[in-house]
This record gives sequence, C-alpha cells and structure tokens, in this order.
Amino acid sequence: MHAELPVHRLDLDSSDLAQFMPMHLLLDGEGRALSFGPTLARVLQELAVPGMRFEEMFEVRSPGGAVTVSDVLGRAGNRFRLLPRNGVRVGLRGLGLRLPGGDKILLNLSFGIDLIAAVRELALTDADFAATDLAMELLYLAEANAAVTRELRGLNVRLEGARMAAEEEAMTDPLTGLRNRRAVDLILERLCAARASFGLLHMDLDYFKAVNDSLGHAAGDFVLESVGRILREQLRAEDCAARIGGDEFVVIIVGRSDPKTLQSIAERIIARICQPMDFEGQECRVSASIGIVRSTDLATPEATQLLATADRALYAAKHAGRGRAVLLVSRGE
Amino acid sequence: MQSMLGPERKVGMDMDALMLRSLQGYVLDTFGLASWQEICRRAELSVETFEPMLRYDPGTADRIAQVAAQVLGRPVEAVWEDVGTYLVTNPDREGVRRLLRFGGMSYADFLHSLEELPGRARLAMPDLDLPEVTLDEVGPDQFELRCQSHLAGTQRVLVGMLTAMADDYGALCLIEPVAADCTKISVLDSRHSKARAFALAMPER
Repeated sequence: MHAELPVHRLDLDSSDLAQFMPMHLLLDGEGRALSFGPTLARVLQELAVPGMRFEEMFEVRSPGGAVTVSDVLGRAGNRFRLLPRNGVRVGLRGLGLRLPGGDKILLNLSFGIDLIAAVRELALTDADFAATDLAMELLYLAEANAAVTRELRGLNVRLEGARMAAEEEAMTDPLTGLRNRRAVDLILERLCAARASFGLLHMDLDYFKAVNDSLGHAAGDFVLESVGRILREQLRAEDCAARIGGDEFVVIIVGRSDPKTLQSIAERIIARICQPMDFEGQECRVSASIGIVRSTDLATPEATQLLATADRALYAAKHAGRGRAVLLVSRGE
Repeated sequence: MQSMLGPERKVGMDMDALMLRSLQGYVLDTFGLASWQEICRRAELSVETFEPMLRYDPGTADRIAQVAAQVLGRPVEAVWEDVGTYLVTNPDREGVRRLLRFGGMSYADFLHSLEELPGRARLAMPDLDLPEVTLDEVGPDQFELRCQSHLAGTQRVLVGMLTAMADDYGALCLIEPVAADCTKISVLDSRHSKARAFALAMPER
C-alpha cells in the first residue's frame, strides 16, 4: 500500500545529475547525446561527444532486435543491457525514462556483474562511484572471498601434507627405516589384485639371538639397522623391503620372475649380511636364510598364500644349513 | 601436553585463530623458526602450526602471547602492536592492507569504515565474528575508537594496524590507548606524506 504523496517536479541541472548519477546519459528526444555522467564518459572515451547518436555509442544486447533508444524504451518497459561500441568489453545495465514534455530521455547505467572487469580495464577509483553505489562492497567481497579461498587452499595443502606424513609413519619401521608389516600387506594386496609378476623373499637372520645375548640389545639394534641399510642398497626404488618382526624381513621385487635373477639377488643380500659388522669395536657376525616364491607360480596369487609358501621356502633354507636361499615352486591351488 | 583443539573441532574462523595465526606469522618472519619453536615448547603446545580456519579455546591467543613476550623479551602489548603493523605492512599479506584500503579515500574515511568491518567480514565468512567497533568523532580530527573483545590483545593489534594504515594513507597521527577498550586518535596532518598507491582492481596473481 502506498500512501498518496504529492508529486514534486525537480529542476536539476546536468552537473547536479553528474554528482548523483555518475553513469547517466541525457539524450534529446531524437536520441542524440546532450550530457554524460563523468564515469560513463570514461567508459565511452572517444564516443562521449555531445550530438553522438545512441546507436552509434551502444550495441543493444537486450531487448533483442532493438537498435535505437526509442526501440529500447518502447520494447522492454524501461530495463535494458548494452555494450559500448568502442571495444571496451564491459556490459552495461540500465533503465531509462522519457522525461515529461518528451524532448529529453534520461538513461542511468551501471556495470552489473562486469564491475570488476570495468574497474580493471578503466582504472576506476572510488571517486568514480556514487556513495550509494554498492560497487565498493562488491569489489571488497570479491577480494575477501579470494583471500578466504586462498586460506582454505593453504589449509588443505597443510592437512594433506600432515596426512601423508602420518601415513608414511604408519607404514614405516622406526628402527630400520624400512617398511613394516602393514605396508607389506597393502603392497601385496595391490600387486595381487593387479596380477603383477613379482618375487617375494622371506628372510630371517641366523645367529641374531647370539649377538643379542652376548653383546646386548644395542648391538642387536645395530645389526638390524645395518641389515636395513644393506637391503636399501641392494634394491631398486620400486622394490619394497620391510621388517615384519624381530629379525624377520620381507622383500618384494617387482617385475622379476626369473628364478636365476631372484636367486642371485637373494645370494647377494646374504653375502653382504655375512660380512662382519663392527659395533663399537666389537665384531658382530650374523648370516641370513631366505625363502623365495614367485607370484607367477600361483594360478591366482593371493597374499596369505604367497607368504605361507615363502615361509615354507625359508624353513627349507634353514633346514638346508643356513646362509642359503631356496626358491620354492608352489604346488598351486 | 595440553590439547589445543577442543573436542568440537569445527572449521570456521574465530578471533583466537586469526590472532594466533598472525602471531605465528609475525614471529616466524621476524625472529625465525627457533624463536617460534621455543614459544611452542614453553607453552607446551602439541602442535607448532595454528590454522586460521580452525577454532581454538577462547583466550588461547592471549596465553600464547604472554609466552611469546617472555621469549622475545618485550612487553606483550608491544608484541601485539607489532603483529598489527606486520599484518598491514608484510608484502606477503598485501590482502589485509588492500581490504582495509577499501575503507575509503582518506584516513578519516578509513577510520569511519572500521564500524562496518565486522559486517564486511561476515560477507565473506558468515561465521566470523569480529569484535564490534564504534568510532566517535570527539573533536576536529579527534577520534575515539572503542572495541570490545574477549581478547586483551585485540586493542593493541588494532593500534598497530591503525599506525601502519596512517603511514599507508600518508597521514601523521597520534594513536594512544587511553583505556582497555578505548584508543584515541588525533590526526595531526592528513597529507603529511604521499599515500601508497591503491588501485581498486585486484593485482593479478
């Protein structure tokens, strides 16, 4: 409900108008420019000349089919969308009114969503906007949003880094820096699912208990660390070496199923481990037995069965006199 | 070890998180990693990184600042003022200066815009509650800025920011806290030096 208010007629000259509406355009009844608001003049640049026709200054994007200012005002009530014809890629929204008497037309324009592009392209400042305009709030919001998004992205990157570090830690044996049992299970599961060909070595140190008992736990730990270093040196980056128990290790050699190759890798590892290790002037001597199994020996490779077979091969190696590697061909399922 | 995050570990900004993150950035950039680690150790923190988007127990920022003041050997008020200056002047945090410069064309405009700051902040982060600010013009070029915050450090951070922004606008000012929640600002010369350039368009990254 609107109360009936008395109608007041205003008498504004164009400099007052320019202050209140820095993007207005005053046209004569035929659509020729009489005056421009200062900000609109910055948009139109060389087109902002008194006497210039509306259709020379603007391409009408909506209402469709309209060309002249009379078309625009006649076709779509009083709202419209325009593009300046000087190549400035800034859309303008506006409304227009034929002033009483019919000899003048007043248009008031705004940048709408092209505000940010306009500010950039035309290097506008807050002096170019009326105090009532929400332009500053919109620009502020765009920057504040960008800052918040940046912070969120930073948070995501930091959380992802922390997650990866935690995952790495959960898969690592802290003493030797090798992988742990959990990692072996995951890797085996993945390789089996992919039907990859690989060799699995199950290794147990010989005489380790004797070192522990005679020289103490520090010496035992030293031996384990040394074995970790040997395994890292003897293997490629894509292979996996893990300590899965006290002096029990598993090595997965990816993409190798030739028995001779696997056997020679195992023997090389044993030879290195058999070399005496020097712990604070004390000599530690251990050896290693290795059971070998190949994923290709199983019709459908499966982690538990591979580990069980490797364990049998290891038992055979120990039984055959320690310091040996035995490759066992699984009898399959 | 005290847990820094309550059980209701929510995402969303709060004043403690913003102040802690700012303090962390200031100490790391100004004094280096060793000082920050020493602060974390003495404060018995379980982490060394404060996240601006997570929530911390109210008052955590004041507690950590007390430890920082001991480690850095300066009064806690001075530490917070430096944090405020750092936020505005650090080139990596250009965003803060830009957002504040949207406040207006002159330093006085900027001061008046501070009343709108909580509203502006809520536009971008609806759950961010900046402390309400009121500015009274008590005489020609004389202002009193009041700010109610649950954190003692807030006023000093504001003082640091106001000082740095005066430089940015090229204004010569006297800025002095006169009560726990009131800061007096006298603008002695609003065109004392050349203002730093400010274009409305966001710098391209």
